[in-house]
Amino acid sequence: MTDAFSHAAAAGTLNCREAMAILWDHLDGELSPEREAAMRWHLEVCRPCLEHHRFERAFLDTVAAARDADPASPALRQRVMDALRSQGLLP
Amino acid sequence: MIEAPPSADISPEFSQAALGSLDDVHRFARSLARNKADADDLVQETYLRAFRSWRTFLPGSDVRRWLFAICRNVFLRSREREERFTPLEDEGGETLKAVEQHAAWRREGVEAAVWRLDLKAAVDRALTALQEPFRSAVVLVDLEDHSYDDASAILEVPVSTVKSRLFRGRRILQEHLMAFARDAGLPGTRHD
Repeated sequence: MTDAFSHAAAAGTLNCREAMAILWDHLDGELSPEREAAMRWHLEVCRPCLEHHRFERAFLDTVAAARDADPASPALRQRVMDALRSQGLLP
Repeated sequence: MIEAPPSADISPEFSQAALGSLDDVHRFARSLARNKADADDLVQETYLRAFRSWRTFLPGSDVRRWLFAICRNVFLRSREREERFTPLEDEGGETLKAVEQHAAWRREGVEAAVWRLDLKAAVDRALTALQEPFRSAVVLVDLEDHSYDDASAILEVPVSTVKSRLFRGRRILQEHLMAFARDAGLPGTRHD
């Protein structure tokens, strides 16, 4: 019987469950160099985990693309400057 | 004797750096507040508080991060209620649940369908619907590209709490997107 974490008993120094438990840390660039190397090795040899990795990468890219690129309007900028001046916080 | 205005004390370098981050603060405020008027109020109040307390800013540190922290504190106070959230320390568990969820979506066929859609509007709606404290964590890390440490400083919570909120928030967003794909009735998806 297989489950979502039984693709490879041990690939490199991480098994599937261990690798997937730190998948988001890896995608966020937050792993130590040693853990990062172990993760990369695991993804090279474990296709099911690589597919999870691709899914989460696509998801994070989709969320990041939703970032609002509109700058603050000139009216808002002026409003902030006026508020600061009215409080004597800007000359 | 005429008292000098407060502005006489404020360093021009601070003013320039703080006002130079207005677009970033505005974007962050828009992601926290649910409408433009509330977001604009939030930006104005953030800058008033920042300039009143400019001496607490450490020269050489990240002014954007400092302004974001003020902005979020103003936002939370404006809601007149503090968060009542029990920190979840099991962030590895959230990640594993996401993997299991993804495997189920693959079997269902919904994963193959979702990437064929224009998801910008769906992500916007899902982010707006996402409750605090998850939304702030997702916005800071996934949209504003802050590290876990930065988000921890802005939110004034431990990194483990940032991760718990972030990972739970991501799972909720994914559920929204998959529901969107099912509602779009694409081939390969099915309603349960």
